Amino acid sequence: MPPTDYDLIIIGAGPAGSTTARFAAEAGLRVLLVDKRQELGAPIQCSGAISGHGLAAAGIDADPEFIHEAIYGFAIYDQEGERTVHDYRLLKPDEYGAAEGKKPLGYVVDRRRFDRYLMTQAERAGAGVWLKTEGLGYQPTDDGHCTVSLRRYNQDLRLTTRVLVGADGLQSQVGRWAGLQTHIKITELAGCLQFIVDGVETEGLLEIVTGHEWAPGGYAWVFPKGHGYAEIGLGVIATMTDKPAQWHLDKFIRQSFFRRRFANSRVLEVQGGGVPLAAPLRTQYADNLILVGDAARHVNPITGGGLHTAVAGGKIAADFLIGHLGDGLPLQDGALRAYQTLWLEELGEKMWKLYGIKTDIFHNMNIQQRDRQLYATMSDYFSPTSEFKKI
Amino acid sequence: MSKQQPVLFSIGWNACINCGACVAICPQEAGFVSPFDTIAVDRPCDIACLLCEAICPVDTITHVPVLQQVAQPALATALRRTRSAPPTHPGEL
Repeated sequence: MPPTDYDLIIIGAGPAGSTTARFAAEAGLRVLLVDKRQELGAPIQCSGAISGHGLAAAGIDADPEFIHEAIYGFAIYDQEGERTVHDYRLLKPDEYGAAEGKKPLGYVVDRRRFDRYLMTQAERAGAGVWLKTEGLGYQPTDDGHCTVSLRRYNQDLRLTTRVLVGADGLQSQVGRWAGLQTHIKITELAGCLQFIVDGVETEGLLEIVTGHEWAPGGYAWVFPKGHGYAEIGLGVIATMTDKPAQWHLDKFIRQSFFRRRFANSRVLEVQGGGVPLAAPLRTQYADNLILVGDAARHVNPITGGGLHTAVAGGKIAADFLIGHLGDGLPLQDGALRAYQTLWLEELGEKMWKLYGIKTDIFHNMNIQQRDRQLYATMSDYFSPTSEFKKI
Repeated sequence: MSKQQPVLFSIGWNACINCGACVAICPQEAGFVSPFDTIAVDRPCDIACLLCEAICPVDTITHVPVLQQVAQPALATALRRTRSAPPTHPGEL
């Protein structure tokens, strides 16, 4: 077979793409990682929470370069402000804490620095990294490979590769090139808005506020953001409200049981995004193509968290591709289904189960019952006895 | 929510936070995007499902109906020819 320019071309240098690139390059694959942006992580569409376990499992050191603040537990609130606290400093004092010899449960990261850090790891492992480079299309070829069209600083390029990895986020165009069913239902995409604020005290906990009154179809949050800052945000489902997220966030800040706590808040940044509370894509592969991260909808359907699942999925994709390409196996006619099978075994089946739990809650049309279910589920999800603490 | 008539979207850039939710919810095939990672604003949307307007966290997408039904396909073709955007058909280069 004729040689290709690369073994892997990865479109999108977010956490999933960069993690795939790093492990693949470390194993000796010829990797090109491209991103159309000039600055990774921005515009920020994420609250930035990831567990210590999630970082460690993907071989990522908790580097001060990207950490805003350490997290030691959770507080889950019902609509009136009653709360369930899982503070691991109290639950497992020998293991978790700020003192020497103890560790945080997780972190809130700076997405600009986190994404750049992960890209740097990929670059140092030997991957080519091109910013300001947009993917335009791809075409499988008869020799079993594919060509990828890119535009880099206005210059059109066409490169050959064995596999194209779509890591281009929730707005993924790569999946659409391959004709994959990427359409997400309006009932399963939360419109989210958050403010980075000064003047709001936090206590090392991720705080999650449930209740239809504040965030119909989703939840609101208050996360520590380091240096005395916090982030206040929420996500709503458009079919459950006729108001935009902005209206709900304003109401949450002014009218909720936190109104006194928020009274002196001053907005330092405005961020937003669509967060899928949905199932993973049913088909995450095509000829010479796989999807990772948000593009494959590798997002926790209960929490909307996507960082752990992105880096975990990136490692699974890299491990698969290292073996598959190393063995010279076919790349077309359904051959990459094996990637999806591996992903389901290692991560996906848990996500499907979470999706079932989430769907059961939101299919209940009785708002009070649904609120109680969501509060109970969230409270249980973050407890030390949760079966899902690994994702 | 759905309308039969094609629409042309307009984005209030002053409020847009470039969050990408409109593109994420959009059922159009690849390429119905602007250079600013929003839904396209330079050509009509034939689906007119308006989900992008519903999801927008800052409520900054509006539309006008495209009235000239006859001229509209020609306009779309002309725009497609001149714009530098991804291919219309999946997989095509």
